[in-house]
Amino acid sequence: MASKVTIDASATSKPKPSTAAPIEPLKNDAARLYTHIHPVIVLSMYAYKFNAIVADPVPALLAILAPLAVLQVAYVAVCLPPTGETPKVRKIKPGEKKRNAPGVLESGVNGTIVPAFLSLLLAALAATPLLTATLVLFGAPVTTHHLHTLLSGAHIALLSTLPLVYVHGVRGETWRQIVALLMPIDEVYGGMIGTMLGAWLGAVPIPLDWDREWQKWPVTIVTGAYIGYAVGKLLGGTLLKGKKIMFA
Amino acid sequence: MASRSVLLVLANLLIPVAIVVFATGFFPYKPFMPGLATYEDSGNDEVLGKGWKEPPEAPFDKLVFMVVDALRSDFVFGEESGMSFMQSLIRDGTALPFTAHATSPTITMPRVKAITTGSIPSFVDVILNFAESDTSSTLGTQDTWLAQIKAKDFDNGKGKLVMYGDDTWLKLFPNFFERADGTSSFFVSDFTEVDNNVTRHVPEELLNRDWDAMILHYLGLDHIGHKAGPKSPNMVPKQKEMDDMVRTIYTAIENEDHLANTLFVVCGDHGMNDGGNHGGSSPGETSPALVFMSPKLAKLTKQSRRESPVRPKHDGEFEYYRMVEQSDIAPTLAGLLGFPIPKNNLGVFLEEFLGFWDNWSDGARLLYWNAKQMKKIVEAKYSGLRFDEEVLGAKDMGFECSPSATRLTDGQSLACLWQGVQQSKGDSNDGTRHSYKFMREAQETMSGTASNYDVARLFIGTALAFLVCGLSFFTLPKLRPISSAGIYFTITLSLYAVLMFASSYVEEEHNFWYWATSGWFFLLYIDSMRKDWSNKWILHPAFATLALHRVIRRWNQTGQKYAGADDIVNSGIFHSNSIILWSLIGATYMDVTLRIARHIARSVATFDTEQKKRGDIEIESTNQNRMMGTIAVLPLSGTAFIFKLAFTAKDAPELTYGLTGDMLDAIESLDLVGLVRMVFGGLALSASWIAFAEWQRSKKRIRRGAQGNGEFAVALFDMITLFLLTQTKAHNIPMYLLFRIQVSLLTLIDLSPTATTLTTLLLSQTSFFALGNSNSISSIDLSNSYNGISDYNVSAVGLLVFLSNWAGPVYWSLAGILLLGSHGATQRYVDTKELHVADWVAQEHNYLNNMARKEEKNREDRKGRRAWGEHVALLTFWTGIMLCGVMAACTALRQHLFIWTVFSPKFLFAMAWGVACHFGVTVGLGGLVWWVGGW
Repeated sequence: MASKVTIDASATSKPKPSTAAPIEPLKNDAARLYTHIHPVIVLSMYAYKFNAIVADPVPALLAILAPLAVLQVAYVAVCLPPTGETPKVRKIKPGEKKRNAPGVLESGVNGTIVPAFLSLLLAALAATPLLTATLVLFGAPVTTHHLHTLLSGAHIALLSTLPLVYVHGVRGETWRQIVALLMPIDEVYGGMIGTMLGAWLGAVPIPLDWDREWQKWPVTIVTGAYIGYAVGKLLGGTLLKGKKIMFA
Repeated sequence: MASRSVLLVLANLLIPVAIVVFATGFFPYKPFMPGLATYEDSGNDEVLGKGWKEPPEAPFDKLVFMVVDALRSDFVFGEESGMSFMQSLIRDGTALPFTAHATSPTITMPRVKAITTGSIPSFVDVILNFAESDTSSTLGTQDTWLAQIKAKDFDNGKGKLVMYGDDTWLKLFPNFFERADGTSSFFVSDFTEVDNNVTRHVPEELLNRDWDAMILHYLGLDHIGHKAGPKSPNMVPKQKEMDDMVRTIYTAIENEDHLANTLFVVCGDHGMNDGGNHGGSSPGETSPALVFMSPKLAKLTKQSRRESPVRPKHDGEFEYYRMVEQSDIAPTLAGLLGFPIPKNNLGVFLEEFLGFWDNWSDGARLLYWNAKQMKKIVEAKYSGLRFDEEVLGAKDMGFECSPSATRLTDGQSLACLWQGVQQSKGDSNDGTRHSYKFMREAQETMSGTASNYDVARLFIGTALAFLVCGLSFFTLPKLRPISSAGIYFTITLSLYAVLMFASSYVEEEHNFWYWATSGWFFLLYIDSMRKDWSNKWILHPAFATLALHRVIRRWNQTGQKYAGADDIVNSGIFHSNSIILWSLIGATYMDVTLRIARHIARSVATFDTEQKKRGDIEIESTNQNRMMGTIAVLPLSGTAFIFKLAFTAKDAPELTYGLTGDMLDAIESLDLVGLVRMVFGGLALSASWIAFAEWQRSKKRIRRGAQGNGEFAVALFDMITLFLLTQTKAHNIPMYLLFRIQVSLLTLIDLSPTATTLTTLLLSQTSFFALGNSNSISSIDLSNSYNGISDYNVSAVGLLVFLSNWAGPVYWSLAGILLLGSHGATQRYVDTKELHVADWVAQEHNYLNNMARKEEKNREDRKGRRAWGEHVALLTFWTGIMLCGVMAACTALRQHLFIWTVFSPKFLFAMAWGVACHFGVTVGLGGLVWWVGGW
């Protein structure tokens, strides 16, 4: 096959988008319902704590870190297909809605809860340091505010990375495509891109001379990430679903 | 293609036109009266009492005018002041204190203009100071109180002036002084020598009887401010020293007969902000002290409260006693010393001094002349209105002046006030009141800014800038397929144009560029991850450049909000032990040396007879050549390094602590001007030699039909780098090592032409701010502007000022050219025809193909102008957008509170970016490097 390839010196090499299908949320009522309720709960929780975060970011961000983790774990477990599993596999068990059915619970624990907690572990242990380092590279303070930055990194990791690990696993090539923005957009991927863009854009109001308390580090960044997550997830799950980011 | 070039040339030519049109509308036109004022001008005013043609008898006949640079009001009047003698004079009533409001820009030369002419110099004077030719920028031909004293007949002939201190006065008033000794404020680290040079003349001059005015200008206090701020431990001792000088002079006035009628004025030309800098218009910068002293003043202060020290009117601000305008000094001196008020004066005679004349008509006459002189300027400005010296009816005026009449324009209300002066002429109380009312209003209107814009020109200028965008838009490279660089370029430009309307983002512009650059490097990372063969994750060159960018942006804290906050330079690692700094500087110089040595070696090899015989391939340098090259370059870069060390030892001695004393002593004794001339000369010589060698090579290549590698472009870049190092402050030099690493890393990333241009733009801007500049006049660094110049030469100094402040953008503009054409990159000449035989893996295949294609393309690019043309098109478009944004912001916000403090300095910087940086560097110098790269 290789010998047949003729090289055209003027040909440009275009990036090859992933052929993977966009992630579909599970086809049961709970999943369909909760996937829309989830961002509302996350945002409400953040809005509820917002004043406390502005007043003293570290304890407040720490306080909502565990609830956010629980919410995200619940979200992926209820709504999303774990890695390597297509939604159709789930379809094999139609009509099994009763929660107390022991068989369902068992398969639920093995099939969704365990991967969900593994994703949480990965997001916390691998993604948080990486994202914190990225924040520092983008200008987060080095000598002060260590906990502030670390907590921002953790929040961004839980919002963006946890669901991605859950649905895509840890294959290197998949993650290259994720970083390269080559995956088709779906609610998980959209949520990640939204979180990142939101956090990045969150830096814009900091230098303005409005002299508001909320302009302090890292309130705008985390707020941007939360809003970006909700917007990205919504758009990714609806309008932009299946689209691919195409640029040379 | 041809039409594109025409459009591009047209767009570029429009840039300066747009700037000039806008600037003439934005910086208001000020009527200027040539010639010296005389009393004969004063017309026919019998009503003003007997002897109306004679000036009122002057209470003083000698003047000592002592300027203490940056003498903020609280340094004299405050509770923490060290000037106890002056405060005791205020308590005795023999000193009259004021706070003299200085208008922005608060730098010495425009302030001296304001003090001496009484006019209110605007921002345009800042440019004119650099731009005007030597003769017209002086005040020698203008009407000032110095000229008036020189023209006045004293008992012993025409007035004589002596001057000691800041040589700004000597530049402004050439051949004015009988005796003078100028000191230059060249090294701000000099706190004592500059002042001792002034002080040593004073005792002797106080015994001389021949002068009529002595001007002293002390710089030490300003230097302390620049170095260590107003709270420096050196500040109070310096104030004490100044206070002792005041005591010396005042005691002489009290004791010496020939000085009995001497008026002694002490003032600051401007103040300083909390960081110790000045140029802007914060309360600290605009509130210098002004004190008049003489035993005779006791007559005036009988009724007033003689308190000192006092607290300012508002806490944290600097308004002590009465706030007057700095321009009021000129008419006050004219009245007190008995000479005509300078023609362009917009100051008002200070009413405290009216008490000198027992006869009211003397004072009224003085004020009437003052008002009449100001009226002439007003008349010149509002030429359509009537300012006759007689009472006019509403019919002649063309409008009603009654108090109920509203909606009068500024000019009309001034005409009405002038009518008030006419009606009350000869009235003892009303006359004074009306004169003051007219003068205050005229002062405010004429110095005010809002009414003076030529709005039509503002709109035309903005429209022209828009046209630049429009024209250059059609010259841009193809917009499709949509590339990440194209998207990011668009986002950056549109966001920038929007942010120009936010005053805080103008002040903190660096944050925008740091932010945008970080995002762009990350996007480059994403971009390269999109290629199938990419296998680097964390150790990716884009990440490495991002990390370096993170270091670079912390190097110098800049902007307004956190001015003075900790940064790498001030963190102490360079101060406590200069060895670290100088090792880094040494490494930077070594890197440049080795690079230039390689070019020299190549040029030597060109004439290598051994290799010449082969003739058909490009001759490369041998080890022997390289050895020779290094030996040849070492003296040049060594001189450059020693110059930097010697200069820093004088300019910023805290950066050379910890270096061996004897060596420093030896170095400090060297002649700086000579050293730097040797460096510049050596660079010129090496450049011409390499040019000759490369030209020879190019001729041979053409004969062989081969293509060059653009080595000469790289050589030129490296030599310009050495020049820029000479123009950079020592603590910033290690940044060029980081820049150089960034350039090398960027060559590893496969950048499209648009991406290269965008990278150039982002890094030019980033480096400008990272080197410590901001959009504030006070951040302009003048310390390297006299390198190699022994006498004042406007164009050379202006060029060096630009090059030392825009060194980073110059560096990156040229680095961008090298990235664009991959000049000097190793050529592998992959034969793509053989690829299909040799490949095993499609990815490897693809990679090699890509590389081969790029090398091929670069070779083609370097020959032609197209790639460069597109680069310039993008940057012209950027310049258009930038100018458009700044001009639209200045037009829309022309009534904004911050227009003179934030937006007009930004416009001045935009002018420099648009003309000098885009025109001179991107198009001019960049074009040169691109052209020689194609040899």
